[in-house]
Amino acid sequence: MALLARSLRIVLAALLAIQPELVETARAQEAAAQAASLPVADEEAYKPVDKDERGLWMDTEEGERQLKASQQVIRDPALNAYVRKVLCNLVGPGKCASIRLYIVRTPDFNASMAVNGAMVVYSGLLLRTQNEAQLAAVLGHEYTHFAGHHGLRMFRQVKEKSAAAAWLAFTGIGLIASFSMAASLFSYSRDMEREADSGGLALMAAAGYDTREASKVWEQLRAEMDATAAVRNTKSRKDKNGGIFATHPPTAERVANLAQMATANPGVAGATGLDSYSAAMGHWWPVFFDDQLKRNDLGASDYLLAALAQQGWSPWLLYARGELYRRRALGNDIADAEKFYSQGIEAGGELPELWRGRGLARLKLERPEDGKTDLNEYLRRSPDAVDKAMIAMMAGETR
Amino acid sequence: MKKRNLLLAALVLASLPAAPALAGWKLVPHAKPITVAKGTLTVTPDADWNRWSVRPIKKGEVWTLDGTGLNEVYFVSGLIVGETLYRDADKKNRPLPTLTKGMALTDIPEFFESSNRIALNTSLFTVTGVEPAKMGERDAVKFNYEYAVEGSPLKRRGTAIGSLSGGVLYLISYSAPATHFYEQNRAKAEAIMASAHY
Repeated sequence: MALLARSLRIVLAALLAIQPELVETARAQEAAAQAASLPVADEEAYKPVDKDERGLWMDTEEGERQLKASQQVIRDPALNAYVRKVLCNLVGPGKCASIRLYIVRTPDFNASMAVNGAMVVYSGLLLRTQNEAQLAAVLGHEYTHFAGHHGLRMFRQVKEKSAAAAWLAFTGIGLIASFSMAASLFSYSRDMEREADSGGLALMAAAGYDTREASKVWEQLRAEMDATAAVRNTKSRKDKNGGIFATHPPTAERVANLAQMATANPGVAGATGLDSYSAAMGHWWPVFFDDQLKRNDLGASDYLLAALAQQGWSPWLLYARGELYRRRALGNDIADAEKFYSQGIEAGGELPELWRGRGLARLKLERPEDGKTDLNEYLRRSPDAVDKAMIAMMAGETR
Repeated sequence: MKKRNLLLAALVLASLPAAPALAGWKLVPHAKPITVAKGTLTVTPDADWNRWSVRPIKKGEVWTLDGTGLNEVYFVSGLIVGETLYRDADKKNRPLPTLTKGMALTDIPEFFESSNRIALNTSLFTVTGVEPAKMGERDAVKFNYEYAVEGSPLKRRGTAIGSLSGGVLYLISYSAPATHFYEQNRAKAEAIMASAHY
């Protein structure tokens, strides 16, 4: 049955992501052997060549049909045009034309490229890469996986080695896995990762970016994992496979390799594309950050805010920081939040929610008059707010 | 498996070893006051509902008319500081927010939204309206929301009422597909909310 076969493929992918070490060594050996026998997906209209590949394409295309209908896909033409432009810069207009790009609203760090040329970029990635060169590093990396048929190579190896018992044990995951999950759950071998890193870096250099930015992407992820762990009082997962970084573990080895490659092939020093990136993301960052701050991960969220604030704390960044602390509400969080909202207002912020947040914080800090004044200011600035009835009641109350 | 209730699906899977044979549904007759979610929250439904014997948390309870994918009412009675709205299934990687000290009514929709985003693994969750309300004699907040889960084209809609007394939370939510089902049974769900007191 087609459905069963599809589930099997998805499940196998999931299985690999969970237990990558099982097939690690064999994969590395076979990858090298198969690399020579596969055509490179360079042609504009590449078509699958054998049964395995045709099957995989069929499944992927079905998944892509579902993805197209998903409410998660961000259809903003400006954002799509920008990410596509960065991609086309890297791979050239011909190859770029055969790639379908889907930007999805998911706060994780991830990007994937399916065997049929459907590329999925998570909004959490756009929040984490700090400039155009870093985005180019990830897109180039994914493109190299695609061009080298890494997905197909992986699939063949899993198919040969998988046992029926293992697949049954993971049906639960397979059945709820959506396309983006299935695609991203492919966990590549260390060799394939190295190949993609070096291929991606070469594309970056050729497109005129500063290749030192590539290793920074993974360094930042490691620091973010440390920040999450510090606040949660747990051990950092930065050297572990699994979790949200399962597909691309940001190991120290990878950072070191990329830094070394950048020395050998520096690209254009200083060409990070920071300005164009900030301009393209300006409208979306608050939305993406809102998704992040509702994930209950104060360490990572605070780290990301500080990263975004490298050019200075803008009013919306201060607002976001206020929200982060007000929502956590432990220890001195409310007082800190009040301070951040005030700084945002002093910095010339016009976002009505600055007054909402500060008003609510002040009510909790037992400053009812100040709090009510702020809430009334919020209602004046945002007369159609979704919570106007509730806030109006609080602004009128003395308690 | 419907993608609808990732949360409940995960719960069923997780609770299978503990409660193998007993999970099931019991009729809740209309027009009779009933205490829900093993606490002091009491409601009087105006229609017959079905109560699920599986509890998402000790202080939670799920009712439905035709199956949770089509209409679902979730009750929480007496949640205290440090407790989560749903089972904290992946505490290590994706911990749910806990009820904090000094919460105000305006914090309830935010707490509900954040809990649902994490439990359902979605970023598509929007609170569409927040207004003051009453739960029995007590002050409460009523709010509406919309959401969709990953990979599903279906939009869902919900409405909920929450109240806090001495930092303890009481909450009733109703969720259903936005197309047809939400409106079809909204009045029945709102009758439950209107009858609620603790």
